[in-house]
Amino acid sequence: MPREIKMPKLSDTMEEGTLNVWRKREGERIQKGDVLLEVETDKADMEFEAYMSGTLEKILVQAGVTVPVGTPIAIVRLESDSDADLQAFLASREVAAGGAPATAAPAVAMGRAAPAAVRPAVSAPGPAPLAPVAASAPPLAAPIFSSAPLPPSAAKLPFFLPDPNRVRATPRARLLAQERGVDLSEIAGSGPDGAVLVPDVERYLEALETQAEPLLHGDVAVTPVAQRIADELHIDLSRVKGTGPGGRITKRDLRDHLEREARGGSARELALFGDEVKLSQKRKFLIRNMVESKRTAPHFYLSMEVDAEPLGALRERLKAEGKRITYTHMIVKACALALEGMPEANATYREDRILRFSRINIGVAVDVQDELVAPVLKSCQGRDLEDLALALDALIAKARERKLTPGDYSDGTFTVSNLGMFGVDRFYAILTPPQSMVLSVGALRSEPVADGDRVRVGRRISFGLGVDHRVLDGVKAAQFLAEVKRLLEAPEVLLARSAAHGD
Amino acid sequence: METERDGSELWVEWLGRVPYREALELQAKRVEALRAGSGPECLLLLEHPPVLTLGRSGDASHVREPGAALEAAGIELHRVSRGGDVTYHGPGQLVGYLILDLSRRGEPDVGRFLRAIEASLIEALGQLGLPAHTRAGRTGVFAGRLLGEPLLGEPRPFAASPAELPRKIASIGVGLRGWVTWHGFALNVTTDLAAFGAIVPCGLHDVAMTSLAAELGAKAPADLDACAREAVGAAFSRRFGASCA
Repeated sequence: MPREIKMPKLSDTMEEGTLNVWRKREGERIQKGDVLLEVETDKADMEFEAYMSGTLEKILVQAGVTVPVGTPIAIVRLESDSDADLQAFLASREVAAGGAPATAAPAVAMGRAAPAAVRPAVSAPGPAPLAPVAASAPPLAAPIFSSAPLPPSAAKLPFFLPDPNRVRATPRARLLAQERGVDLSEIAGSGPDGAVLVPDVERYLEALETQAEPLLHGDVAVTPVAQRIADELHIDLSRVKGTGPGGRITKRDLRDHLEREARGGSARELALFGDEVKLSQKRKFLIRNMVESKRTAPHFYLSMEVDAEPLGALRERLKAEGKRITYTHMIVKACALALEGMPEANATYREDRILRFSRINIGVAVDVQDELVAPVLKSCQGRDLEDLALALDALIAKARERKLTPGDYSDGTFTVSNLGMFGVDRFYAILTPPQSMVLSVGALRSEPVADGDRVRVGRRISFGLGVDHRVLDGVKAAQFLAEVKRLLEAPEVLLARSAAHGD
Repeated sequence: METERDGSELWVEWLGRVPYREALELQAKRVEALRAGSGPECLLLLEHPPVLTLGRSGDASHVREPGAALEAAGIELHRVSRGGDVTYHGPGQLVGYLILDLSRRGEPDVGRFLRAIEASLIEALGQLGLPAHTRAGRTGVFAGRLLGEPLLGEPRPFAASPAELPRKIASIGVGLRGWVTWHGFALNVTTDLAAFGAIVPCGLHDVAMTSLAAELGAKAPADLDACAREAVGAAFSRRFGASCA
């Protein structure tokens, strides 16, 4: 039987690993002990050695890719494998991976009514190489399920489906079993108190190897012990995913399957959910941050309307001068000026104190191909509008090319978020810790405004300000927002060159 | 060469100044010997002549100085087959290479191993009079007590001023062949910290490098390098020696 190699688990805390480099190529012969590949996790690199000899038949995960622990990364063809073995194995993998629709049809054939011929001989003690397994068979007494094929509850899984993590085994045996995808609970241990030893695992693997197993297309691979239990409990094996050697269904898989069923999730849930979307590390980090922010920072929100006509006029004038200045540039500049004048607002709460930031670093939220990033414009204090605009454009271009480094999005002290271009009139973004304010910019709207006794069409933008109440009270926050409004409505001030800037 | 050997204690050797390549070969030999059952588990303590090493995931742009400038400064640049980014080694930095068989210590676990290295270093630093800490998600050891935890306890890159940057005193990176380890840690004792100016250490833009001498200031004993060797050797011997009986 060909073998699957899986992303090894190097640590309890390891969830995924990066396949650094393949030391062997597809089709290359490998000897037991050869270094096959290198895996990287955190600050550790492991050279992963072949535990069998054969041919590296297929590489499933390429170098440089990060996958969860346990993901099959390659298929090794053993010397004893015929072409038919390989084809059958690949076919069975496809079946296993095919999901519900693909397996629906063969399900009938693979239930308890499956023809005996395609099933490895089990109950009959016939081919005896499975000695260690056979030894553990007797406890499969009938009484428990003599009544009917009841779906067992999670709390009362059949006693012969032990938690594989509780099986006594030496660390080396456990390790070997883990590496080879063997369910320890299927092995009768020969050590003290029935502990499983390395030779036990090896014997078991050898037995599996020689197990007569005509794997026809549509058949499921299953270990003898698991087959027997499935028969007794009338478990439809086509609905169980095998994780054992060669994708075999093991006792552990049955246990997991029954637990899932018992949790009631199974059928209905499967119908409810569609695809699963893996989250990037960045996304996970963002989620943690946002949850933590909402939970720990008491947010309050203010909103104000800004007359955008002077801003529009200024923009047009600068455009005529050949300067490409956007509303965002001007808003960022106004925020920087307002923060300069109100250092108590450029601060954070930390363990019963308020720490004021020494610089004004403004993050600007940008959507890059469905990913939210907020590159940070550093040291905005004293920088003139054009300088800020250039720097911000460069940052955003970098973001769009996905070339931001951690330094580019760290150390923000204030954030501006803009959904105006998506037609949102007004909203309130969540604070990014450790910042205490976030300005949410809505769409530029044309609307009727009272102008003395007459109504005319004016241009308006709504601003929403989210504030951490631990740092600022309502009055202070209102003063800040009013200052931003004042600056934007008399935007000539934004053009003033700061004395601090030198030239 | 001083060599300690005492029953169940870890074999600790001080090798003096060893060129990077040479140390690499020596490690490979020790790893093979341990795997073949003909050699002991050991901690090799040494220091390197000035060298920059760039791991596989290393970004060449994290080397700030051009090649010619490095050459002029007598600094070699090695690309090595380990994980991690760029690291500087040089005189005054205590490098420890740990050749251990993790499967001899219950269920092997790389994460636990890394945490044990950090704990040993913190213990040694404590004996030398410097409190130190680790940061979640950032393998390595940082000087000082962790008082103002970042707001979320996450490794948030955040500092209002360079003075608030985490000060990294020891870098860690290990390799595994099977479950036998190699590589280890680099602790800055009297390292010339200016040398780190040439790189962005470990690809971390928001970390400042520090050394034991810089942290202790006037409190540092005259023979700080020797004291550090002793404390580190003892701490690792205690933590990794007893369990390999």
